[in-house]
Amino acid sequence: MLAKARVLRNEEIVPGCYYLQLEEWQIARGSLPGQFLHVRIVDNIAPFLRRPFSIAGAFPDSGRVDIIYRIVGKGTELLSRLGKGEYLDCLGPLGTPFSPARDIAVSVLLAGGVGIAPLLFLARILSGEGKKILVYYGASTSGELLPLKEFLPKKAEVFLATEDGSAGYRGLVTDLFESTLVAGTRRAEIFACGPKPMLKILAQKNRYWGYPMQLSLEERMACGIGACQGCAVKVRSEDDKTGYLRVCREGPVFDFQEVAW
Amino acid sequence: MANLEVNLGPLKLKNPVLAASGTFGFGEEYASFFELEKLGAVIVNSLTLKPKQGNPPPRIAETPAGMLNSIGLQNPGLEAFLEKDFPRLKSLNAAVIINIAGDTEDDYLTLARELSEINGILALELNLSCPNVKEGGIFFGNSVDVMSRLISKVRRACRLPLIVKLTPNVTDIVELAEAAESSGADILSLINTLKGMVIDVSKRSPLLGNITGGLSGPAVRPVAVRMVYEVYRSVKIPIIGMGGISNLDDALQFFLAGARAVAVGSANFIDPYTIPRLISDLQQFMESEGLHSIDEIVGAAQR
Ligand SMILES: Cc1cc2nc3c(=O)[nH]c(=O)nc-3n(C[C@H](O)[C@H](O)[C@H](O)COP(=O)(O)OP(=O)(O)OC[C@H]3O[C@@H](n4cnc5c(N)ncnc54)[C@H](O)[C@@H]3O)c2cc1C
Ligand SMILES: Cc1cc2nc3c(=O)[nH]c(=O)nc-3n(C[C@H](O)[C@H](O)[C@H](O)COP(=O)(O)O)c2cc1C
Ligand code: FES
Repeated sequence: MLAKARVLRNEEIVPGCYYLQLEEWQIARGSLPGQFLHVRIVDNIAPFLRRPFSIAGAFPDSGRVDIIYRIVGKGTELLSRLGKGEYLDCLGPLGTPFSPARDIAVSVLLAGGVGIAPLLFLARILSGEGKKILVYYGASTSGELLPLKEFLPKKAEVFLATEDGSAGYRGLVTDLFESTLVAGTRRAEIFACGPKPMLKILAQKNRYWGYPMQLSLEERMACGIGACQGCAVKVRSEDDKTGYLRVCREGPVFDFQEVAW
Repeated sequence: MANLEVNLGPLKLKNPVLAASGTFGFGEEYASFFELEKLGAVIVNSLTLKPKQGNPPPRIAETPAGMLNSIGLQNPGLEAFLEKDFPRLKSLNAAVIINIAGDTEDDYLTLARELSEINGILALELNLSCPNVKEGGIFFGNSVDVMSRLISKVRRACRLPLIVKLTPNVTDIVELAEAAESSGADILSLINTLKGMVIDVSKRSPLLGNITGGLSGPAVRPVAVRMVYEVYRSVKIPIIGMGGISNLDDALQFFLAGARAVAVGSANFIDPYTIPRLISDLQQFMESEGLHSIDEIVGAAQR
């Protein structure tokens, strides 16, 4: 659906990264973790296209919908100037959500950078279902790490990694996760979102680890609703043939085995 | 009430606002926003004989006031389309125009022949922006000879009204428009996208997976309006104008230049309600101007 959502809050929480709270009841009621909003940042033709952002939280009882975004270009820069009380044109919720298995009690959420956004929503829902939540969260340096306490259920266990070692494990979050595996593999499923190289490494390693694993991917989008074939991602079918699926429709969440890197 | 019906030669439409090929899928996605019945017609994604995978991503690049796309005609092919997508589109009560594309003359002819046998298709639109593999990759759409031969053959192979969609990537679009008319086209569509590219400076490489793509959106509108204006002066068959239309004012420019219908493409991505809004704005405009038919302003800006 298309709606004008009122801005409740739009603040920089760590340098370059913003926390946007919107009020839109129907979206708040209809959203599931893994889905995204396609937003029109300005009312004219520059920037021309909408911008996709994962839903970082949706609260059916208060009508609130959250987005967490990093400023990377002109669209996100303009978005950061949107003030409280103003309205944002949102198309959504869009895309296919994560589909957690009923019978797996441990959920590993693996995020690089702002890829944490959809996983915060997922963590809250899974924790509400009584599942154990382990969050592995990496960034290049400690200054980029979001204050996760604010967003995660209390019981979630958090493991941090920074490439420069300024907080938590020094190195990649995928290596941090791998280093904990030796301690004995539990039955768990993995949900991951982050830069493409990180997801690719994960998918390759998971061929040996063998966890159920779902990845949330990004691709440049035009329509966001499945009409233009613009957001294609190469996938492998069961008979090993490759073809394209739409990140905005069949995705953004894909099974790790499906993606042809 | 003003009458929005238009006749494009043999093709009769309930109103002159269409959805442009490639931007409206097979209609299904937009049907969740409004009734497709409202549209003058839906021109579906280019259809090829065999399924087509399309180009490697990224396929979209934003540009000033527009976008590049390099979808590469991804589509399920004729058979799957007829089995699945076409019945669904018909069940949504859409007026359907099928856009066809091919690598060889035979591709086009087979498509035209087979689609001729199907009930419920209003017209065929020939996308001539593909290279002719047999002729060593010469584009069907920018050689008068190659294009004329193709159109006359397709004309003979099918009974449906024939729309020829012209590419703007040519030196003289008027020459091609005249050739299309004399080889049997009933209607002309213009324009398709303008070939362009974007370079990702940080990676020092082309941004699109296919290197080049087609430019569309408001950025191309002046080019499209000029082409409609010039072509209108030299052909008698009706014109469907498109390129950067997102509101009434944009559409009026095309009508005044000489288009008898318009199609909306990229603007659908920005606001899915663009076409129904344009139709009702056009209705209001005609009423306030006391127009009985859109024909009264078609080409009115010609000097
Ligand atoms: C399903 C999905 C969910 C996303 N969720 C988030 C999120 O929760 N938080 C967040 O900060 N970012 C998220 N992104 C990325 C976000 O869409 C881009 O950072 C944003 O579009 C950049 O816009 P810009 O104008 O600032 O950058 P520019 O580089 O100026 O944008 C130019 C064009 O490229 C596109 N583009 C640039 N980077 C990306 C990218 N990584 N993915 C897709 N398109 C891109 C833009 O949409 C625009 O069309 C998500 C992307 C997708 C596909
Ligand atoms: C994503 C995209 C896909 C397109 N695919 C096709 C296509 O398959 N066949 C075709 O004839 N034109 C195709 N076009 C061209 C449009 O039909 C139209 O001619 C062009 O985009 C100009 O109109 P606009 O500026 O309103 O988008 C495509 C355009 C876009 C943006
Ligand atoms: S963005 Fe158009 S199909 Fe996904």
